[in-house]
Amino acid sequence: MKFKSILAAIGLFAAITTAYAETKIGYIYVGPKTDYGYNYAQDQGRLYMEKHVKDVKTSYFENIPENADVERVMERLAQSGYKVIFATSYGYLDPALKVAKKYPNVTFMHSGGFKLAKNLGTYFADIDDVMYLAGISAGASTKSGKLGFIAAHPIPQVLRNINAFTRGAQSVNPKVTTTVVWTGTWSDPAKEAEAANALIDSGVDVLSMHVDSPIAIVQTAEKRGVHVVGYHADASKFAPKGWLVGAAWNWGPMMTKIVESIEKGTWKSENIRGSLATGDVKLTKFGPSVTDKTKALIAKKEQAFVSGKDPLWAGPIVKQDGTVVAAEGTTMPSASVEQMNFFVKGVIGTVQ
Amino acid sequence: MLDSSAFNISDLTVSSLRSSTPILLAILGETLTQRVGIINLGVEGQMLVGALAGFAATLSFGNPWIGLLVGALAGVLMSSLHAGLCVGLKANQIASGIAVLILGMGLTSFYGIPYVGQKIHGFHHLLSAHWQTVPILGTFVSQLTPTVIIGLIATPLVGIWLYRTRTGLIWRSVGESVQVARATGINPAFVQVQGVLIGGFFSGFAGAAMSVDYTRDWVENMTGGRGLVAVGLVIVARWNPFLALPAALLFGGSEAFYLRLQTAGVAVSPYLLATIPYVVTLLVLLVSYYLANKEGGAPQGLTAIFR
Repeated sequence: MKFKSILAAIGLFAAITTAYAETKIGYIYVGPKTDYGYNYAQDQGRLYMEKHVKDVKTSYFENIPENADVERVMERLAQSGYKVIFATSYGYLDPALKVAKKYPNVTFMHSGGFKLAKNLGTYFADIDDVMYLAGISAGASTKSGKLGFIAAHPIPQVLRNINAFTRGAQSVNPKVTTTVVWTGTWSDPAKEAEAANALIDSGVDVLSMHVDSPIAIVQTAEKRGVHVVGYHADASKFAPKGWLVGAAWNWGPMMTKIVESIEKGTWKSENIRGSLATGDVKLTKFGPSVTDKTKALIAKKEQAFVSGKDPLWAGPIVKQDGTVVAAEGTTMPSASVEQMNFFVKGVIGTVQ
Repeated sequence: MLDSSAFNISDLTVSSLRSSTPILLAILGETLTQRVGIINLGVEGQMLVGALAGFAATLSFGNPWIGLLVGALAGVLMSSLHAGLCVGLKANQIASGIAVLILGMGLTSFYGIPYVGQKIHGFHHLLSAHWQTVPILGTFVSQLTPTVIIGLIATPLVGIWLYRTRTGLIWRSVGESVQVARATGINPAFVQVQGVLIGGFFSGFAGAAMSVDYTRDWVENMTGGRGLVAVGLVIVARWNPFLALPAALLFGGSEAFYLRLQTAGVAVSPYLLATIPYVVTLLVLLVSYYLANKEGGAPQGLTAIFR
């Protein structure tokens, strides 16, 4: 009996000291953290943050569906002493708001949402700037003048990327067109591979994408001998020859700042939006076929974006049908960029 | 503005065959299973297990042929559960099939995590670089992959085996009536177990074809409902292996076609276009039911399940 109570005392002591010594932080992912896509990027942020903030301990939970399951996971974390929860998928927003109400001492950070609560903030970054830069490499390398873009659903984030990519390519080759194929699902590698094949058969020689995991598309491009612009993370190992460059997230520094402010008690509920200037999005490394001239062109444009002198959504911006959205000398207001629902001229495809 | 290059006959044929192959293999397997009087709704789960096991084996052994074999055997293992429950314990076949389906999804989601984002080396081109430049035939064949060809060869073989051999006759007789088969000295349980296991073999192989050969990628739930579609297409194919190819092409072909319509710049909602494969399949099912007699080639033993 005595032995047992001593053991219990030690256990309790250990629990208390670790609770004081370390801030426990939970990460919830909708898919596997190794997808070389969205979840991989979030997890890279977690690893960076863990290395750069003192006395934190992170745990992660993969493949958590966007339904009552994620609510249960968040409840369990909150009950077992986690102080910060990163809910990294878009569909986690409403469950997170619900759980946040019940546990006011836990701080929730949601990725991509726009709703706030006392103890819930959101974080995201404008990656379309980077897609524009990557588009420059596509425009410079295409011989047929036909680019292909494989995407899941026509939502504003995706349309922004497709338009930015196309405008980047057009900045070096005004005749370039981008053909869009919708797969209607965030993840179906067989369909994505077939879409890639269909685009390549129609004469497309540079592919890009916005799906959860780009691996199947990147590999199909390599197999068929065309170039590919990546998205989410560096997947160049799947296309050593055809890889041009990619647009990637860099969540580490932002997550570090968030956790530090929570530890110091200076955290406040807000919608944090990172950019190229703050380093939260960036270009991946270049592939072997990108010329120095193109790299210099991209670097120059990057400087213009970072300095804010020449914003991405500055006119002239013209829709597919020729209507002018923003005339020369004006810039699209950020509210209408956030709700983008059209394709720019040069994109072949439909947004409904 | 329509770009006709999207409808190049050779390209469209190849892409239809590629999209159809996993479904074709799954239909062949399920046809054999249903021909011995057992329905297995777990094809999707078996395909997923085959896809993951095949991918994992290719990663460890570095040989895609071993991957395909391991995937097929993993499918057999999963289907043995169904065989044990339905033939051994006489459990409800619908419930058992759904159990296999859900078990396959759960197991592969969990054990598949470490394999996401891994790189495997698939098959080489079927033709050497020299032959690939030969007009029409060379460009056509160079786009085919080994599993497409295996599927095309397997279809007539399964058909001939089922209709022209003695064992094929025994299998069919078990599917028609277990009692009659038993009276003629056949062990129906033994035949039925074989029928379920061969179905598992084909569906496991179909899954591995997707992960090892076609996409060289493992992603959770990557079969995307193709196993369930295959079970439905068995009915469209009238339980006839020879008709499995047109049935699979109906679905895979329309999937390839709707993706290609978009590359041609057709201005129709992508969500509407995505329903093409299902609408076409439904229409053919309706028409074929109307034209053929109501029984439509269903093994008599199957009807007992729904009684």
